[in-house]
Order: sequence, then structure tokens, then C-alpha cells
Amino acid sequence: MFFRIVGESFSRNPLRKWLAAVALVLGMAITTAALTVALDVGDRLAREFRAFGANLVVSPTADTLPLEIGGVDYRPVEEGSYLPEADLGKLKTIFWRHNIIGFSPFLEVPAILERDSSGPAIRTTLTGTWVNHSVAIPDGTIFQTGVLRTHPWWKVEGAWFDDSKQDCVVGAGLAARTGLKPGDTVTLRFARAGLAPLVQPGQTPSEERHVSMHVTGILSTGGTEEQVVMAPLAVVQALTGRTGEFRRLMVSALTRPEDEFSRRDPSTMSKAEYDRWFCAPYISSIALQIRQVLPGADVQVIRQVAEGEGRILTRITALMWLVCIAALLAAGLVVGATAATSVLERHSEIGLMKALGAPMGTVSALFLAEQLVLAFVGGGLGYVAGEGLAYLMGQAVFGVPATGRLILLPVILLLAAAVVLAGSLIPLGRVARLDPAPVLRGE
Amino acid sequence: MGVLVELDRVSKQYGGVRALDQVSFTVEAGEWIAIMGPSGSGKTTLINILGGLDSPSSGRVLVDGRDIGPLSEKDLTRYRAEKVGFVFQQFHLIPYLTAVENVMLAQYFHSMTDEKEARESLARVGLADRAEHLPSQLSGGEQQRVTVARALINHPALILADEPTGNLDEANEELVVNLFRELHGEGHTILLVTHDSGIARLADRRIELAHGRLSQVSVLST
Ligand SMILES: Nc1ncnc2c1ncn2[C@@H]1O[C@H](COP(=O)(O)OP(=O)(O)OP(=O)(O)O)[C@@H](O)[C@H]1O
Ligand SMILES: [Mg+2]
Repeated sequence: MFFRIVGESFSRNPLRKWLAAVALVLGMAITTAALTVALDVGDRLAREFRAFGANLVVSPTADTLPLEIGGVDYRPVEEGSYLPEADLGKLKTIFWRHNIIGFSPFLEVPAILERDSSGPAIRTTLTGTWVNHSVAIPDGTIFQTGVLRTHPWWKVEGAWFDDSKQDCVVGAGLAARTGLKPGDTVTLRFARAGLAPLVQPGQTPSEERHVSMHVTGILSTGGTEEQVVMAPLAVVQALTGRTGEFRRLMVSALTRPEDEFSRRDPSTMSKAEYDRWFCAPYISSIALQIRQVLPGADVQVIRQVAEGEGRILTRITALMWLVCIAALLAAGLVVGATAATSVLERHSEIGLMKALGAPMGTVSALFLAEQLVLAFVGGGLGYVAGEGLAYLMGQAVFGVPATGRLILLPVILLLAAAVVLAGSLIPLGRVARLDPAPVLRGE
Repeated sequence: MGVLVELDRVSKQYGGVRALDQVSFTVEAGEWIAIMGPSGSGKTTLINILGGLDSPSSGRVLVDGRDIGPLSEKDLTRYRAEKVGFVFQQFHLIPYLTAVENVMLAQYFHSMTDEKEARESLARVGLADRAEHLPSQLSGGEQQRVTVARALINHPALILADEPTGNLDEANEELVVNLFRELHGEGHTILLVTHDSGIARLADRRIELAHGRLSQVSVLST
């Protein structure tokens, strides 16, 4: 009998039911999309913001200050310390390994560039790095990383060099000065004791090494890298005799926005607080975890980027929540309005039921069951539509479709039920107060 | 037979309108009482108070020895489901439920549905072959017989009929009146509002209301 009455109500009032259902579907779709994006946006935007550069820089603890002028490092190779390339796989073993989305080691040496044997020699820096290198992780897997990951906004006219070849790219500034272009061959001379003109007494030119490389592309970065020659790390290591070593590591990590808690000094935290801090992807806790696997390394946070990111993330997430609330409110109002009309229309029916001795609980249950069916249908369809919307939104705004989350389905259904019930409260109150006597008199 | 209903100086005030004024009478179990009176004299008000749809402003209404005046909304609802069978002038059937479902609805609110019993009740009023019809597919007389079947289904102590033939033509009126006669013959207690003195004559007693006051209680038993 119960289901008969509920079912009948749907077959009798299709238009209004449709109206309420459409409002719910729209509301829940927007909510689903906004929630999906809000959940996804953290990761998504964090990835997007990686375009602003790596957010952690790792260097040897005992290193000297770089002597860098106009992008040229005048520091002798002997000075300062180096870090072992072999340890890098360990970065993908830390607690937040999945948040390490890329890293690139750099080895920079002063060098003299010669276009050909007759051309003028130019002082520059030769930077060794990875473009897209396979790193063996201790767990047996391979991780592809390099500047393509950590510096995705770097543009190369021509092509990047192959990490395994003896090729290079030339910074755009340097290329402009020298007229170098892809396809040219350059020779880079490297003197162990620093720049050639400063050869120390007692050192013979025989210690000077050089390498000839093919220019595959011209590099634009918007930074000092435009003044250097960039070559595979292995080539620079071989040239300098620093096999398996590097001097600086740029790490891109997905991090949680900084907050009050993350800014605290971990050494002042209680055990429980420390655990909480350690197990949150704060940039500071990731930095600590990196320090733990790279002995002798100093990890610096590029703070400004991290904080700016955090603020924007927080704002976008807040915006999405706002959209959610607005959509839910709108859906609730429409549902409430249609429910009110429905109650008004079924006035005599409800009055009769009450006169026949229908307990208030039964009458309310009939009414609410109807509303819940609406909620689940609207919520279910809204979820599907919302995931579609999120997919398109992700595609349009972030260039990558937002991934659907099935976990949202029960959340959305519950929200739809809550919205519908909230919207039904006033009409339900009217049902409760409805006096059967006037109804039966025909009023 | 014992006294089933006792009204003791029952008054009902609607704002400035005194719909019932110090009405007192008793109804024996198994009695058929006709309530008469001009329009606005308080007949429906009386029926509603007896049926637990309305509460008296003063006075006591005892049904089966229990004063229904002070009952809570919840207890009145239960009282309606258990003790009263209503038959209304406008039938008041649920338009989208079939005849048998309309009868079962009263069962549902009382306790649980029993389709077999509901069909028997329809058969009792001569509508065995109309069980699956919607109210709109039934004549006025047939609809009113469905409401009688519905009123009977929970074995009420009291059948309250407010002008049950008011909307019927003569032929259907006769069918329904005969039904009430049969019910009376079976020992049901009936209070029936009517403007038709012919129908009123069939009752055991006649109660006349005028301006909310009991103007006449006449025993018509021949
Ligand atoms: N809910 C109400 N509010 C105010 N006045 C009411 C209400 N119900 C009834 N009345 C008034 O009480 C008086 C008695 O009404 P009631 O419906 O009992 O008359 P009745 O005898 O059934 O009339 P009729 O023969 O027309 O059905 C009338 O004056 C009516 O206007
Ligand atoms: Mg009346």
C-alpha cells in the first residue's frame, strides 16, 4: 500500500516531479563537479603551479657560496662539495614519495666555448643535467625524470639533447651573442683549475680537457640558464672527472598549503604533533624526509612559490565550496517549492488519510519516501552529469580532465537526501498541521 | 444493550459562532439515530466531534465509557482508526486507488492490509465485480457503497454518516439506504445526518438540531 501510494504520486504528477528532479540533477551535478574539482584541484593545481619551478633545492651542506656572475659560475671545480647521483633513487622511497613528481640534478662548471678552432673563445658555464633520465628506484622500478618534469616551461627551439648522447643546447642569450643555431658544432674547454687564463703555475695545459658537441636546440627559460650551454649530466661529469656527482638538485613536490601548524618548528612539537606533521605533505616535512635519505645534503624550500600556491589553492577550494553551497541551496529551494505545491494540491487526500486514522508518522513517511526517491534519482543522475561536467571543466580549465571519484557518489546521495529533506521541512510542517475536518467539509 | 455514546452538555464555539450549544443525549449500542436540522444547525459539527475530528469547547463526549474530549492528537487519530467508520456526502475516495485499494487504505492505517477481507467487504455492499475500478469509473452510488465498505472494514463501534445520500439520485439513494438498514439489522450503531425525513423515519430515533441546540429527540420506533 505504502509503495502503491508513493508510486502513484510519481505517475500522477510527472511535470512537477520532473521539475524537482531536474533542479536536483542540476544542483547535484554542479555540486559533484565542484566537489570533484575541489578534491582534484589540490593535486591538479599543484601540478600546474609546478610550472613556476621546482619548490625544493638540494645542495651539499658543506658547499661554498656559488660565485655566480651573469649566470656564469666562477667557482673552481675543486672547491665545495658534491652529492652522489646514486642516492637519487632514494627520493622515491620517502614517506611522501608519490608527491615527488620530479627532480633534476645540476652540475655547473666554468668553461670556454669555441665555435670552431678559428672563432673567438667565450667564457661561459657548462651545465650538466637530465632531460628525461631513467632513475633506478631501490624498489626495482624506474622513474623517468629530468628538466622536462621540473622545468616544464623551459622552451627549446629545435630539440632537447638526448641524455645518452654528446649533444647540447645553447641558451638563447648565448646563442644571440655567438650566432649559434641548431645543427652547429661547439667545443667546450674545461680547465681543472678554473678558467684557462687563470691557470695556476705548475699546472700544465695537458690537464685541460675539452668536448665537442652538436647543438640540438636553443634554450629559452627566462632566467640565467639562457647564458649557458646545457649538456647531458654524464658528459659534464666525464669532462670534469666528477663521475656520478652533482652539485645542485631541483625537486618538484606536491605539497599541502602551508598553515599555522606547518610553520611551527618541528623540534618544539610533541610526539603526536610531530607524527601528524611528518605524515602531512607539508613542504617542510617533505624537505626533512629528503634530508634523511640524502646524507650531507641541505634542503632549502623555495618558500615564496610554495606559499603563493597554497593561498591560491585555498581560495579556489573555498570558491568550489561556495559554488556547492549555492547549488545545494538552489536545489533545496526548488524542491521545497514543488513539495509545498504538492502538499497544497493533495490537501484533501492528506486530510482524508488523517480522518481515516492515518498516524502522523505514516503520512510523513509517505511524503518523505516520495521526496527521498526524488533525492536518489536526482542525486544519482546529478552525480553522473556532474562527473561529466567535472571532466569537461578539468579539460577546459586545467587541460587535463578531472578524475571521477566513486567515493563522491554516496556523499552526493546523502547530500541530495539532506537537501530534499531540508526543502521538505516546511511542507512537512504543513502536512502535520493540516486539520482534516475543514477538508472533509469541502473547504 | 448498553449505552455506547453519551454527550453531556457539549458545546462548540467557532469564534463568535456557537455551532453546538449544551447538547446532551445518549446512544445505545446497536441504535440507528437520524440527525436532522436546517443548514448550519450544527449537524456536521456534532458528527465531527463524535468522530474525533473536532473537540468540544465544553462538555463531555463519552464513547464506550471513555471521554474523548481530552485525548491528544495522537490518541484521537487512533480512536478514529479503531472506533469510527465515516461515510461522507462527497464520498472522499482516493482518486488514483481502485475500489479495493481504497478499502485497504483504511486497513493499512488501522493495522495491516488484508486484500481478501477488503474484497469481502466490497462484496458485502454488492461491489464484488467493481473491486478493480477507479472511483472515476464508478457511479455515485457505487462510490458511496465503496465508502461504506471502507467504513465497515475495521469493525468500528460507531458508523458516522454525514448526508450519505445527499449527492445521489433516487435509485442510488435507495441502494445506499437499504445498505444502512441492513447494517442496522446486523447490529451496527449508526448516526446518520439527513435532510430526508423519509430516511430519518427508518431510524430508531431522530435528533433535531436548531441553532446548535437540541430541539427535539423523538423515538420513532413503531
Ligand atoms: N471551522 C469552522 N469555523 C467557523 N465556523 C464554523 C466552522 N465549522 C462550522 N462552523 C459554523 O458552525 C455552524 C454549524 O455548522 P455545521 O457544518 O455543523 O452545520 P450543518 O448543520 O452541518 O449544516 P449543513 O446542513 O449545511 O451541512 C455554522 O454556522 C458554520 O458556519
Ligand atoms: Mg453539514
